[in-house]
Amino acid sequence: MSENSPDKLAIREVRLGATRAEGGTREVSYVIGGDRGLPFCGNDAGRRLVALEICDDPAIWPPVVRNYVGDLVNNPEDWAQAAERRYGADLVRLNFTSTKKRGFNAFADIASTTERVLEATTRPLIIEGSNDPQVDSEVFRRCGEAGEGERLLLGTAEADRYRSVAAAALAYGHLVIAQSPIDVNLAKQLNILLRETGVPEDRIVIDPYTGALGYGFEYSYSVMERIRLAAIAGDDDLAMPMISAPTDTLSIREVREAAPEEQDAMAVAWEFYTAYSAFVAGASVVCVRHPLTVERLKKVLEA
Amino acid sequence: MAMKALDIYKHLPKTNCKKCGYPTCLAFAMKLATGKADVEACPDLDPGAKALLGGVTRPPVRAVTIGAGERSVTIGEEFVLFRHEKTFYHPPGIMVEVSDTWTEVEVRSVVDEVRETVVHRVGQDLVLNGVAVRNESGSADRFAETVRLAGGGSSLPLVLISDDPTAFEAALAIAGQYRPLIHAATADNWEPLAALAKQYGSPLVVRAGTPADLAAITAKCAEAGVADLLIDPAPGSLQGYITVATEIRRSAIERTEPALGYPIYLDAGALGETDAAVATGILKYAGIIVTPRFSRASREAALTLRQNIYTDPQHPIQVTPGVYPINNPERDAPVLLTVNFSLTYFTIVGYLEASRMPCHLLIVDTEGLSVLTSVAGGKLTETMVADALKKFGVADLVDHRILIIPGYAAPLSGKIEDATGWKVMVGPRDAADLPEYLEKEWKT
Amino acid sequence: MPTVTFLPGYRKVSVPEGTSLLDAARAAGLAMNVVCGGQGKCGKCLVFVKTGSVSFDRDKFRKFFSDPEIARGACLACQTTVTGDVQVDVPEGSLIQEQKILVEIQGLEEIPLNPAVRKYEVYLSPPSLDDTTPDLTRLLEGVEGVGGPPPNRVYAPLGVLRYLPQVLRRSDWHVTATVALVPGGYRLSNVDDGDTTGRLYGAAVDLGTTTIVVYLWSLVDGRILSTASNYNRQISCGEDILSRVNFSRKGGLARLQQLAAESINEALKKAADAAGVDLEEIFEVMVAGNTVMTHLFLGIDPGYMIAEPYIPVVQRMLSTAARRVGIATHENTGIYTFPAVSNFIGGDVIADILATGMTEREEVTLLIDIGTNFEVVLGNRDWMLSCSGAAGPALEGGEVLFGMRANPGAIESVRIDPETLTPTYTTINGVAPRGICGSGLIDLLAELLRACVIDRTGGINLEIDHPRIRRGRYAPEFVVAWKEETPIGKDIVITENDIKNLVMSKAAIHGACMTLLDAAGLAPRDIERVCLTGAFGNYINKENAITVGLIPEVPLERVENIGNGAITGANIALVNRKRRKELDGLARRITYIELNADPSFMDRYTSSCFLPHTDLSLFPRVQQMLEACRLREGVGSRQG
Repeated sequence: MSENSPDKLAIREVRLGATRAEGGTREVSYVIGGDRGLPFCGNDAGRRLVALEICDDPAIWPPVVRNYVGDLVNNPEDWAQAAERRYGADLVRLNFTSTKKRGFNAFADIASTTERVLEATTRPLIIEGSNDPQVDSEVFRRCGEAGEGERLLLGTAEADRYRSVAAAALAYGHLVIAQSPIDVNLAKQLNILLRETGVPEDRIVIDPYTGALGYGFEYSYSVMERIRLAAIAGDDDLAMPMISAPTDTLSIREVREAAPEEQDAMAVAWEFYTAYSAFVAGASVVCVRHPLTVERLKKVLEA
Repeated sequence: MAMKALDIYKHLPKTNCKKCGYPTCLAFAMKLATGKADVEACPDLDPGAKALLGGVTRPPVRAVTIGAGERSVTIGEEFVLFRHEKTFYHPPGIMVEVSDTWTEVEVRSVVDEVRETVVHRVGQDLVLNGVAVRNESGSADRFAETVRLAGGGSSLPLVLISDDPTAFEAALAIAGQYRPLIHAATADNWEPLAALAKQYGSPLVVRAGTPADLAAITAKCAEAGVADLLIDPAPGSLQGYITVATEIRRSAIERTEPALGYPIYLDAGALGETDAAVATGILKYAGIIVTPRFSRASREAALTLRQNIYTDPQHPIQVTPGVYPINNPERDAPVLLTVNFSLTYFTIVGYLEASRMPCHLLIVDTEGLSVLTSVAGGKLTETMVADALKKFGVADLVDHRILIIPGYAAPLSGKIEDATGWKVMVGPRDAADLPEYLEKEWKT
Repeated sequence: MPTVTFLPGYRKVSVPEGTSLLDAARAAGLAMNVVCGGQGKCGKCLVFVKTGSVSFDRDKFRKFFSDPEIARGACLACQTTVTGDVQVDVPEGSLIQEQKILVEIQGLEEIPLNPAVRKYEVYLSPPSLDDTTPDLTRLLEGVEGVGGPPPNRVYAPLGVLRYLPQVLRRSDWHVTATVALVPGGYRLSNVDDGDTTGRLYGAAVDLGTTTIVVYLWSLVDGRILSTASNYNRQISCGEDILSRVNFSRKGGLARLQQLAAESINEALKKAADAAGVDLEEIFEVMVAGNTVMTHLFLGIDPGYMIAEPYIPVVQRMLSTAARRVGIATHENTGIYTFPAVSNFIGGDVIADILATGMTEREEVTLLIDIGTNFEVVLGNRDWMLSCSGAAGPALEGGEVLFGMRANPGAIESVRIDPETLTPTYTTINGVAPRGICGSGLIDLLAELLRACVIDRTGGINLEIDHPRIRRGRYAPEFVVAWKEETPIGKDIVITENDIKNLVMSKAAIHGACMTLLDAAGLAPRDIERVCLTGAFGNYINKENAITVGLIPEVPLERVENIGNGAITGANIALVNRKRRKELDGLARRITYIELNADPSFMDRYTSSCFLPHTDLSLFPRVQQMLEACRLREGVGSRQG
């Protein structure tokens, strides 16, 4: 394996969020990336962030999380605030699950929810918009505009629908999550497409898609390792930090069918093993859904 | 580093005699280059070439067996640093520790738990592998007694942890015939321990703080006649472990330091965060992981992670093609098409089961490739769908003729309609959106 | 029975009710274009029912027709059944047309003439009571006396023995014996009156799935006398190999064998007539065909080759006599078929290898035979690796909206002005364009990429405001020729779907090349020669083939079109028996890599599903060129 000289970064630095001084309203901004070698090896400098996922329409959210957080699910800004202050998340990922509704057209709510969640939080914000080409362009425009200058991390760009996210990110100064289906080549291709559309390399975060533990997680694990190895070997098109969101983990049979008194323990164990392994594979940001998982991950990362 | 196929080929007889079982010498060379064949298979190789090629094709990490009988565990024999390069072969043995200061009841409950924990997943029974007995009492007799309580090695493989040669002598008098793992030989005590290991034919862990010190001790132990060794790098932190384990595995694989070509031993309890340490050991090269007792949820997750990481990426777990009933479907239930990529299948089944929506799931054989890749690679075609509908008698299961295909297979919708005569509905791309899609779109 | 009349030729045929128009057309001797084998998938067998009664579900196949075509009564011949007397108009485009066929000669002067069949003129002493040697022994001893093989090694077929006594006496014991080297010995193929040593002929045959090419040689002086070509008449039983195997499995093997022999016979006759040679004077025929074609030609069941575990009946070189396979030359003519490496690397590829001369060289050659299926061989005189796969029909114009074979009117080369986006093109035979063939499609891909009309996945950038770039009925598309320029009354376009099909086809080929290179531990720069052959491979623009990433990037001068490698190889094996003898050994030492069993192939394929490739470091020249193009265009400067 040919590695870079020690003074060259293997992974590009990417700044998430913007403080007042940086043109936004966040109290902190984070720099991820900047790694030089393999994750957790030697003087590994990369910062690792734990994000708690919340949503604006909890209908499809895992019951175990709904039970645990109670009324918060009906109020994204309270939920976001609790994520930061009570659960200790480094940042929040806001999923606009409402856009999955058929005939969705409440675009004004997208803007206002974005504003309210930004208001309620002090740290950088990840927004997962729609994944329907029909509404993409308007959804991304609205949340992009509402968060102008905040260096939001906007998701998700895919190979056949990247232009709307890219346009919103370029117009309002945000970053893009580039998601590809568990394939190192497809990840690279999407980064090239984004670059050739004008998105600067330091505004792209790779999401190689994370399968649930026990349900194909090994594919995601290896693809993350391969992406990181390619970056170390000098591939500029893969030298971006990675985000991993094992979102299916809480929907698996083992968690769903666990005895009521064991549900939280089961959910947290499976999320923890998956999320931690994603960090070991090279992810810089890992998104989880159970608040207790956040706490356990933070403890390990800070040890 | 490994030799390339053409370099190996130069040393072969080039007779294409097929005695090795491969059609040509070059085909054999390619298998040798990837470690999938043994030089011994070629009867016409001169000794010099055999030694040369054997040196570069034998496993760089030695295979070591701990325990005896059906629950014995073999580790090591690894060839790569990253599983995608080929595969990881031997999953680490997970040993739960007990102390010789515990009561009999405490010891027995752990031993029973280890013996009885079985997680059934995709056709495999996942188990914990053994018990580690720690000599904390300072008494050789108590140590031996606890070893006896732990089954003496006859049913479950044991790890014997102490720094007192007399304690080992006592314990080995009980368990010695069952190949317990002895932990640990250090710079100070390696001689008596190596002698004991040799006497009982037991594998031995060597413990030191740096790879160089480890290599020095393993070399001496090997010279003293102990071939089955493990390496405990005594890490101070998770990051420290990953760093040193990576270095050890790399030296072994690149054959820069043969004295490091042994499986690695990790004491998960010593690193504070047990779950994180166990996961780390599984992900990063541990051959034996000794852990304090952990919860059922953690055990299941850990065993599942181990199964995932040690799945051969070149032979992914594939779901058998067929039509699978989900939530007791009737004749009016929808028929959903997907591929036999295990991740896709399990994800979909997860969401469908959660939705309680009855349906038939039709799995076609795409050689374990995902929908996107199989559509792109021509491994999912309209003919296959038509054949599968016919072969699995789907038309006899339902009264309608509507097939819901994955969102990523949309380009095939017209062709599938033509080839099958079924009406095709294009479903969502994301399995998470399936329940809602079915709720809204499915009306017979 | 109803009568079907086919216009414009007024060919009539009576068929039972319920017969498809396609079968009726075949019965009338019309060769319809059925790319899909008559499954209603390709839409190429368009006909217009003028009057009369048929059954056809037009709504179901609506997508194949334009409104004016519907108004004229458009039907798909394969999906239309006759229900009464009917008159059908068959447009020219629905018939198989004369194709560009490779007939060329190259590089043979260095090969010594050393045929396996020879003629020996002998004057024998007549028998007497003192010399009662039998006729055959007498002849063979005479042959040995003028340099022929020992009598005990020569086998004499019964047919020859039956006329031998008459010939010997009629000629007054002055005859010419034709003796052929065959496996295990020699065969006395023929005995002529007097001296015929000046006339000994052999033929090399490229038995292609679509086309048959024949070279007629004088084996006396090693001259090529004539060449001829013909359609493989098996096309009427299925366009592609798979449909022919299926036809054979349904009891059609004998029919396919007969059609193969007839097709060869027709070509042989043309060549023989042109050279003033009697077919009876041809004593050797060397046939190079793929494994399935070879099986079918010999009447051997190919049915077990197409399903797991894919077993052919035979791979070695076979020889037989002409009469046993229905070849219209002398009945004892030796018919030789090339050996194969696998089902997929057949005799045609062995012939290609022979044609490249790569078995003689130290330098590494990459041979690529491109058609619907492709074969790739990498190696030199010491080692050789091969693999094969399906490129899909896109490169030959299939599954492409306006794709067509290399028939007259096919756009075969294209350039696009990067400023105005105006294409300039040439067509085969210079007539008005009817569609685009493979070489034109590759040019289009390269030119659209250079003009920044498509992104590197092949997606058309609809943000460019230009009349040629538009949202089509199925997908975004680019107009190559306005309908005013065409005789078909439609704009000829290339759609985004077409482009993506082409990208997948080229990715399969490039992925295969990389798989072989990696297996050998070599990089593209180690390739000293790339030889392209095959129906499509020969006409392709080499530079554009590299630009789109169809073949690995090597310096342009290292890429050669070797023409029809199969016929060249057959020629070599015909005229030189030493080379022929080496073929079995050559076939045995080629290592075949099964791409489907190689997990890394999928990886290479995916990384090649990009223009030219995900890893531009494999394409340094293309990278420079593309960067220059992007600079020239500026990002989005043309957006409106």
